[in-house]
Amino acid sequence: MQNPVPHIIHNNIFWVSPARTLYWEEQKTLIVADLHLGKTGHFRKSGIGIPQSLYKADLQRLMAQIYLYKVDRLLIVGDFTHSKFTKELDLFIKWRNDFSLLHIDLVKGNHDILTNSWYQEANINLHEWELLIDGFLFRHEDKRLKHKEDKPVKYTFSGHLHPGFTIKGKGKQSLRFPCFYFANEHCVLPAFSKFTGSFKVKPEKGETVYAITDTELMKIG
Amino acid sequence: MYLKQSKGNSVVNDWLNEKGFNAFAFQQQTWQHILNKESGLVNAPTGCGKTFSVFLGTLISFINQHPTDYTTKKNNKLQLLWITPLRALAKDIGRAMEEVLEELAIPWKVGIRNGDTSVKERTKQKSQMPEVLIITPESLHLLLAQKNYPTFFSSLKIIAVDEWHELLGSKRGVQVELAIARIVHCQQPRVTNKPLVWGISATIGNLVEAKEVLLSPISKKGLIVNANLNKNIEVNSIFPDEIEKFPWAGHLGIRLAEKIIPIIQESKTTLIFINTRGMSEIWYQKLLTIAPELAGVIALHHGSIEPALRHWVEEALHTGKLKAVVCTASLDLGVDFRPVDTVIQIGSPKGVSRFLQRAGRSGHSPGETSKIYFLPTHSLELIEAAALKTAIKRNEIESKVPMMLCFDVLIQFLCTIAISDGFNATEQFAEIKSTFSFRDMTEDEWQEILQHITVGGVALKQYDEFKKVEIIDGLYRVISRKMAMRHRMHIGTIVSDAMLKVKFVSGGYIGVIEEYFISRLDPGDVFTLAGRNLELVAIKDMTVSVRKSNAKKSLVPSWMGGRMSLTANLSHILRETFTNAIDNNHVPELQILQPLLKLQKELSHIPQKNELLIEQIEDKDGFHLLVYPFEGRNVHEAMSAILAYRIGKITPITFSISMNDYGFELLSDQPIPVDDTNVRELFLIENLLIDIQKSMNSTEMARRKFRDIAVIGGLIFQGMPGEKKKARHLQSSASLLFNVFSEYDADNLLLRQAYDELMIQQMEEVRLRNAFQRIQDSQIVVMFPTQLTPLSFPIIVDGLNRNNLSSETLEDRVKKMQQQLNAS
Repeated sequence: MQNPVPHIIHNNIFWVSPARTLYWEEQKTLIVADLHLGKTGHFRKSGIGIPQSLYKADLQRLMAQIYLYKVDRLLIVGDFTHSKFTKELDLFIKWRNDFSLLHIDLVKGNHDILTNSWYQEANINLHEWELLIDGFLFRHEDKRLKHKEDKPVKYTFSGHLHPGFTIKGKGKQSLRFPCFYFANEHCVLPAFSKFTGSFKVKPEKGETVYAITDTELMKIG
Repeated sequence: MYLKQSKGNSVVNDWLNEKGFNAFAFQQQTWQHILNKESGLVNAPTGCGKTFSVFLGTLISFINQHPTDYTTKKNNKLQLLWITPLRALAKDIGRAMEEVLEELAIPWKVGIRNGDTSVKERTKQKSQMPEVLIITPESLHLLLAQKNYPTFFSSLKIIAVDEWHELLGSKRGVQVELAIARIVHCQQPRVTNKPLVWGISATIGNLVEAKEVLLSPISKKGLIVNANLNKNIEVNSIFPDEIEKFPWAGHLGIRLAEKIIPIIQESKTTLIFINTRGMSEIWYQKLLTIAPELAGVIALHHGSIEPALRHWVEEALHTGKLKAVVCTASLDLGVDFRPVDTVIQIGSPKGVSRFLQRAGRSGHSPGETSKIYFLPTHSLELIEAAALKTAIKRNEIESKVPMMLCFDVLIQFLCTIAISDGFNATEQFAEIKSTFSFRDMTEDEWQEILQHITVGGVALKQYDEFKKVEIIDGLYRVISRKMAMRHRMHIGTIVSDAMLKVKFVSGGYIGVIEEYFISRLDPGDVFTLAGRNLELVAIKDMTVSVRKSNAKKSLVPSWMGGRMSLTANLSHILRETFTNAIDNNHVPELQILQPLLKLQKELSHIPQKNELLIEQIEDKDGFHLLVYPFEGRNVHEAMSAILAYRIGKITPITFSISMNDYGFELLSDQPIPVDDTNVRELFLIENLLIDIQKSMNSTEMARRKFRDIAVIGGLIFQGMPGEKKKARHLQSSASLLFNVFSEYDADNLLLRQAYDELMIQQMEEVRLRNAFQRIQDSQIVVMFPTQLTPLSFPIIVDGLNRNNLSSETLEDRVKKMQQQLNAS
């Protein structure tokens, strides 16, 4: 896999990785969005046989990233789990116990509907609406993206959209990839889980997109 | 028992004579066979009393068994199960049967069971089955999902399958095979009195096979009864005034709308057939705009229109209240609308049998002539009209190839019977193998299917809660009520492709659209549905949000109809027609096309019988390689992928591929290394099978096949009323599932089926091989026209359904595209 690429915002370094994570060097924090843990289990419980190896691969990818950067904190900008409780989430708890020193923050997303006691057991700090760290704001859904009104006050990181970027070439060629979307005052992270669709974003002038091919990053703009 | 001496025969004949009718020979033959306890297939066109062949046979048999009390014997339980492919047919057939029963004073009840039947009516049927039940394949499977369903069939005498030619060759046909096998086998204790199976079919190329498929579950050879009623058919094309100004591409044909107004006015009632629902909407609007006087006497009929309105249209057709109806395949089948005396076909019907069937909807009575007009949607389609005429003259009609080993349908069916009474694996295996579709299924495949429904593929054992079918006391059963309810909702989905609801952002339902089409659009694109131009806003939770658009240009949804392929039969005649096209002054369709053909000749070449034409054209889009085998869309899809794959072995290159029934296009951003020196190697038969498999993996074809399979096999959940919110967490697109399975469970049964179906049904390997053989024996002519030719134009312009194939690495492709992006 290609090495992470630094992206600098307000003099802070954020390492963009094709593993769909963002590492904030100054805060030793790994930022991810939309893991949808337990999605395969939820489908399976309803009789739809999605292979569970996908869930395992997602967890392993996350673990590898935490080891790689030796992070202090994991920050999830929403949709950590997919739906109601499934047994699959026990595997996460087991995994969590091996990382007991890791600090985990979760800014709640629309899919995060488990009981508070579960988050307690998983040792996850819940933030109902947003989290502010050193002048940067973290939310699940950045409403301003939809209504361009009310200019952002602080640089905001969010998820929810599952952004994807379509690149077109000559000869009617077209490819679509999940991407990081950096606008001037906000950033949308790609969905961490591979069991997700994508929503097409179109960067404007001065904005940057990192499209994620299988193992590499492609910077546009 | 000899028919002529039977009481039933004299009762029925007296009644017919009283009405001034005589039984046709084929009807009497069928009656005799039924008395002899034979099964079989009646081959008769619509509108000549085919229903009465089997139905009256059942009655004669009943009268013979109860000669003294047949007029008083009530509550005889289910005697005749009548399977029909279309809901719309049920009502009319039921009414016709009721009339007969009343006049013969037989106190039987006729029931209808389909998606439109009310819950009250269904419950009534459950406690007291009518003697005749008219049912669709889906509803029949729903019936098998009821507890104690074997009791419904305990006194069943005949299973009749109407319009069998329409079901055969589709997955619904496989549903019928499975249902017949189940019904026959669930009557185990009364072996002596198994129901007879009778199919009714229009003429197709493989009638004997059609009979074999149908009777396979009862392991009988059976008989074919032939009606031998020939009808005269008159085919006329509608010509544009100036062929030079008529478009070279398109599939709407709306420019010729004015030409059909006089035809409508001179006829009593006209049916206007269009291949897709979307286009029928546009035509309906257009006709109203140019001929406002038709308001109130023309109507629209297609599958997405609400049932009440559809029924009204059918009723009005019977009574002759309508001058014209714009319709799709929804009116292909069924009882006759007497007043219809003219049919117009817009665009290619893609096959001879469909064209004949539609023509047959006009002028029913024996001796009358069926009149059909062909309206081309682009210039070259006129050649197809000429080919159709030839095919009809020679009576060359297509075969319907039965579908084999449809595991998705089998999985659905097994869950269905697991909901009701459950099944024993060993007995069920034998029963499934008695059907034609699954006769070659191996023990291993069967075990894999059982695994699939009980364990659900690759799992992390201790963390898994997969639940669908459970084994309880040796029986495979579905216990969860919720699961059962969901599955029942699901059974109907076999008919349609994955469908999404279309709604306004502000609320308000517009209709449904195929996922296949909409998934290729981006937000901001404009498309047409229900006669309105709509801008796509977002797709979420199986719902497409749109807003009204004033844009002039819009995309017309390509429904299944638009993707139908020309049959082998018609394409062979088409090639022949093309060869003789230039300087042909006998056939009016070809005569009018002369300017266009001359231009083709001037710019490039007109392929002769023993030639394959290839054109290479360069323009702002890139480099086009066009090949014209005239083999139909399906074969072209496979052939183009193989060619692209083979060229890709010469040099790393990426292609975007487009095709129609005449040929295909490979488009690339770099020059395509094909010329006289190497072109023959591209069509070698050696390694064909390996190259097919390799090229298949690299295109969208398997992904597309997987859509239908994922829906039928229960991987895609369509949602159900009242459970919307919960179901939202269970939604995913077929395309995402395809990726997930390819990466994490490549051995998955349904994924494999997608490849198999592609290989056998779509690629039609035999046909493909023949095509390669033919090309190898032909002259290959490579031309380099300086501009787009009339032949190339429709292929290049209609490029919505593009495939891609690349021999470059993903990273290289991206880099190249990025450079192009930065340069622009």
